[in-house]
Amino acid sequence: MAFLGRRLLHSLFVLWAVVTILFLMFRLMPGNPLAAYINETMTEDQQEAMLRQFGLDRPLWEQYLIYIGNLLSGELGLSFHQRKPVWDILMAAFPNSIVLTVTGLSLAYVFGVVVGAFLAWKRGTWIEGIGVPLVLTTRAAPEFWVGMLLLAVFSFGLGWFPAGGANSAGAFYDSELERFLSLDFLRHLTLPALTLALYLQGLPLLLMRSTMLEVMHEDFVTMARMKGLSEWRIVIRHAARNALLPVVTAFALGLGLAMGGNVVVETVFSWPGLGRLLVGAVSSSDYPLAQGAFLLISGVFVVMNLVADLAYTALDPRVSHDRVK
Amino acid sequence: MTTRRRFIAGLAAGTGAAAALPGMPALAQAAGDRVRKLVLYSDPQASAPAAYQAALLVAQTWRQLGLEVDVRPTPRQQHSQIVWFERERWDTTMWRMVGRPERSDPDELIFNLFHSTTAKAGFNFVGYNNPDYDKLAEAQRGATDQAKRKELVLQAQAMIDRDQPYAFLVHPFNIAAFNKTVWDPKSIVVQSGVGIRNLWTFIGATPLGQRKDMVLNARFNLIALSPLYISGATDSWVTDLIWDRIARVGPDGLPRPWAAEKIEWAGEKAVDATIRAGMSWHDGRPVTVDDVIFSFEAPARGDKVPMYRPFVVDIDKVERTGERTVRFHLKRPNASFITSSLAKINLVPKHIWEPVLADLANKPENVDQLKEPSTVGSGPFKLARARFNEEIVLERFGAHWAAPKMERWILRIIPNPEATIGMMRSGELNFLGDYGGDPEVLEKLTKDVPAIQMAPETDIGFEFVAFNHRRKPFDEPAFRRALSLALDRNVMVQAAWNGYAVTANSHVSPALKFWHSSAVDNPKTGVPQAREILAQAGYRTVDGKLHYPAGRKEDLKPGE
Repeated sequence: MAFLGRRLLHSLFVLWAVVTILFLMFRLMPGNPLAAYINETMTEDQQEAMLRQFGLDRPLWEQYLIYIGNLLSGELGLSFHQRKPVWDILMAAFPNSIVLTVTGLSLAYVFGVVVGAFLAWKRGTWIEGIGVPLVLTTRAAPEFWVGMLLLAVFSFGLGWFPAGGANSAGAFYDSELERFLSLDFLRHLTLPALTLALYLQGLPLLLMRSTMLEVMHEDFVTMARMKGLSEWRIVIRHAARNALLPVVTAFALGLGLAMGGNVVVETVFSWPGLGRLLVGAVSSSDYPLAQGAFLLISGVFVVMNLVADLAYTALDPRVSHDRVK
Repeated sequence: MTTRRRFIAGLAAGTGAAAALPGMPALAQAAGDRVRKLVLYSDPQASAPAAYQAALLVAQTWRQLGLEVDVRPTPRQQHSQIVWFERERWDTTMWRMVGRPERSDPDELIFNLFHSTTAKAGFNFVGYNNPDYDKLAEAQRGATDQAKRKELVLQAQAMIDRDQPYAFLVHPFNIAAFNKTVWDPKSIVVQSGVGIRNLWTFIGATPLGQRKDMVLNARFNLIALSPLYISGATDSWVTDLIWDRIARVGPDGLPRPWAAEKIEWAGEKAVDATIRAGMSWHDGRPVTVDDVIFSFEAPARGDKVPMYRPFVVDIDKVERTGERTVRFHLKRPNASFITSSLAKINLVPKHIWEPVLADLANKPENVDQLKEPSTVGSGPFKLARARFNEEIVLERFGAHWAAPKMERWILRIIPNPEATIGMMRSGELNFLGDYGGDPEVLEKLTKDVPAIQMAPETDIGFEFVAFNHRRKPFDEPAFRRALSLALDRNVMVQAAWNGYAVTANSHVSPALKFWHSSAVDNPKTGVPQAREILAQAGYRTVDGKLHYPAGRKEDLKPGE
């Protein structure tokens, strides 16, 4: 419990630091948020009124205290641009992002774990000679390029998948759950999730492979061989299970990281997620929305970090953070 | 070699040739200080490729006059900040004026761009100050006689041609396309200066087969959907269809009655309108004269509807004169009133908005901050669903007197231009409403897929180089004129806009045939012409660098 309490405190400290850096970063950026609203119909008085409305006429420290106070009461503020509560805007995009991220990441990790274990098993063979460079090449390919390639082949060329969006034009569903479970949504999700998966598979694959190579030299594997177990059984039942530990940690951290890194995929596939929202908010100096989006992504990252720590302890009782000095 | 590359190569060759020409005699003894290095701001290449390319060509040309020019690509936000809020700081900048249907009346551009009263914080950001021009701008606004007004508008264009407050470059084409196997080409309407993405197309587009939904695209997310708040450009496409107005700008660019059967001037300071019979709101209640009066009075009262207030400031009183008639009394004659007010103010239901505004009266907020503004209008479409970063779905309002032929109007937000082309090809889109990619790619698509028809139209808006008149030597008309006339607009059209634009030398687009002055079109341009103007104004070239006339000092630093 003491460990959990300490980790929670650490997480809160990290979130406070993130909040403070975000607050200062946007206000120190060049450019007045009003520049995004320039319109010949706006008089000087209206411009000043707008600054007052959003509290931008107050000293920085006062703005900061108001911002922290609002956050503590669960208030992320109003978007400068959309004039709507930031929370509502984020929550409209968040489910799409989380579905895309979890699907892409899961595909990447399932593929990475299986192929990583396979490549470790085939150590020193021609399969490894081809497999590893192929994985590195796919990992190094820019996301937008992979995305456009998939679009060109499977959408524009073969016509198997739609070119963008999360649903067909004008599709109506009774609930969000029904929408997410529809075949139409799945068709729209396939190419962006595949792009993300291709981009993300390198880490789990190489991690699994290198951990497997270490594990394969452990005493218990030698013991299993001496017992006459089949090579396949040794790899799957003994080595792979033990090699999974760092991969599980990487998955949890990867979810947090991938949440913020979907901007390119979301733009290429017109996916209505958090990444596109974030880019729009930053480019139009919509401080509250950009801060809220970054905060949400940071929140996911911090929570997943905590989950990774706890999962590590639960999966391997030999590891206890309490005993680490 | 692409057209653009060929032209750049040609220009470069021209530069070499010019450098080989004998320059003007060096008259160091009669010259003032050397003109400082000039900074030309531009959006970055990634966000405005054509304007950035044009900036490079402009700088290249000006260097031939002996000027040192630094092209400074700057992110849009920061660029706007400098040009708009730091008006003493910059020398020259690439800028654009976007076309909007309400700019079909020249008043907005004639008055707001160059009247001296808008120089401090308004749209006259270059600081042009000419009392003669002010008189012309005011006179055209007050002239309700159209022939007389036209004469004044032509004079204003001639004065701008003489003074060159901007170096106008081009009027770009609005590029749109549609699938002619889905929509009857005869039912697609081209609006002057706007193109085919307009209300007249959306109510008239006739489906040829089973597909009765128009699926079109926009590049940018919606910001808000309110009849009393002006937000982004994409938003206005939607609000135009949900809310009616007393008048609309017609396909010919001139205003025409819309929710009114008849609109007539009753003297110089009054306009009568007769509202159509049988109109109803989307919630089924009738549209009344009281609703109309409320729609025009709401922005005028207090400060709760700030965005629409400028469009009603000229109204003294709105008077009910009968069951279906209303009279607008004006404070002063305003010839553009029908376009700038009657075709601008959205009609809103009094039974919904009166309590909302009454509630706001006791709060610091105004209508811009309403979280869920009502979307009940009386227009030809009603809102079915709005996901601002994904899709807007409108349904035809069958009870409207001009009910659309299509069933639904579906706007998809597609930020990727390549995907947009792919969607047109696959049929996911059947109307290309907003295209930010290379026009040649779209043209190729129309060749590959004959069902797709491209429809370019000259824009009301224009691209230009703005000179800051607050900073010398741009305070001198001769200097501005020389720099402007040095630029070959035809090269700009081909090399920067890939041929998808027409040359510009006026703030009134040739798309507005009635108001545009063809007398100022195609001035003689070229570096020799510019050198001659500079020489006549006393400027001298010393060792290849341009110097002020004798006695003039340079006391500014670049980018100061």
